[in-house]
Amino acid sequence: MPAIRVENVSKGYRLVKQKPFLAKEFLRRILQRPSSAGYFMALKDVSFEVPKGESLAVIGTNGSGKSTLLSLIAQTSYPTQGTIDVRGRIGPLLELGAGFHPDLTGHENIYLNASLMGLSREEIDARLDAIVTYADIGEFLDAPIATYSTGMQARLGFAVLAHVEPDVLIVDEALSVGDGGFRQKCEKTMREMLARGTTLFLVSHDMSQVRELCKRALWLHKGEMRMLGPTEEVVHEYLNTWLIHTAEADGPGDSPVDGDAG
Amino acid sequence: MVQATVPSMGTRADSMQTFTDLYKYRFILGNLVSKELKAQYRNMSLGFLWALLNPLVLIVVLSVAWTVFLEAPPSFPSMVIVALIPYNFFTYCLAGCSMSIVGNVSLVKKVRFPRQILPISVICTHLIHFAIQSTLVVLALIVFTPPHDIVSVHLLWLPVLVVIEIGLVTGIGLLVAGLNVVYRDVQYIVESILTILFWVSPVLWSAGPTSPLERFPDWVYYAYFLNPLSGLLEGFRSVLYFGTSPDLITLGMSVAMTFILGYWGVKSFWKQEREFADLL
Repeated sequence: MPAIRVENVSKGYRLVKQKPFLAKEFLRRILQRPSSAGYFMALKDVSFEVPKGESLAVIGTNGSGKSTLLSLIAQTSYPTQGTIDVRGRIGPLLELGAGFHPDLTGHENIYLNASLMGLSREEIDARLDAIVTYADIGEFLDAPIATYSTGMQARLGFAVLAHVEPDVLIVDEALSVGDGGFRQKCEKTMREMLARGTTLFLVSHDMSQVRELCKRALWLHKGEMRMLGPTEEVVHEYLNTWLIHTAEADGPGDSPVDGDAG
Repeated sequence: MVQATVPSMGTRADSMQTFTDLYKYRFILGNLVSKELKAQYRNMSLGFLWALLNPLVLIVVLSVAWTVFLEAPPSFPSMVIVALIPYNFFTYCLAGCSMSIVGNVSLVKKVRFPRQILPISVICTHLIHFAIQSTLVVLALIVFTPPHDIVSVHLLWLPVLVVIEIGLVTGIGLLVAGLNVVYRDVQYIVESILTILFWVSPVLWSAGPTSPLERFPDWVYYAYFLNPLSGLLEGFRSVLYFGTSPDLITLGMSVAMTFILGYWGVKSFWKQEREFADLL
């Protein structure tokens, strides 16, 4: 049974020119004007499976639908068409510091964050020492998060995630914030989690990270599946296409290497 | 298509799950409530006393301005506060609920947990403030003794009234929490309505024989009780100030409105919920 099964999934967004207001919407309905909202398909007919314990990287330029796919896998948004089946506990890596409350202590934030990811009080009690040791924040444990450095917040965030022991680990660009040592530690932990049977779903622009962590890769282009296969082949093809493309058109603005998740 | 270990996101069919899930996820709920309380009071040296300051100031103003200058009866402050504290609970809840989803963007976009926990944690937090502020009611009733003896069997109505009010704020709270994600002016509309409600609800005045309502035709009197707060606040006042049981017809209208708004709130919340992550 695969850990993630995505079947003919499409996702559309209402394309609104400005934020809707209730007062305006009432007026529009009274005057019976048609809605100006258009429709934008961010994902078109995407299907793939990720077996338990495997890892899949999603690559593509900005606006290719990577983040949309990520939110569908995390089950925070619903597909417009198709079905998504994710087995077990989902561990989303939050942007560093997000989900933490600045006025609460590290200790309190550990409980808050871990409970949101589905752990019971007993489970957190049992993991607390390991989380604190991993995060390496020492006596800051009982100080408010607001007094933490960015690096300490990042370490604490990842420490909680790693010890939630998710069945499906979802990693967005978040890791690129930490320093080199932190990234290495994270990648080491992710490999250990993979070895224990966690399924990894990685969205990244960092091709070396993709090559290192994932066996297979999915290339999305404008919401459609361009290629799905062994990481080396997909990354090779992806970078090649972009080299040719940029040579011909002299850069259409969205390079494959930098920028945020599409 | 999701395994049972994953928190349910609620399909439209499971309105009841809005509430049954709360027991299952009570640990998250408790953490969110204690987060709110700690974050609010940790940095203040007077701590929980701040929750008392606002209504305390109002009693002082009332007792000085109304009873001294406007020659209201000496028990006037207690007549007001028995309705004011429940009214405060209502407004704090609705103002907080309207922001409960849009104020937690990172959680809603990234983590999957039952969304109704966010507005309901706001209500639980204010329920604790409500309990703290209730000490002021007791204090006021001792200092500004009402003209009638209130210690009687009618006091048993109090928990019933509180439960009705919790039901009322839950329904409206879910409604405004969800709507505010789609229409961002909802929070301002809520604020304005709450300001109006303060004056059209029986907080500073009562619908009794000397009330301003007497000057209007009968239908105004009944329209006035369509406001679900009217019957409820009058109920609190009957029990705590007049020492009688609540008027069952007007309280019944409040209960009916609670069910209507509750049904609408739950339905609307789950309808909007499918788009929360897309619209934030």
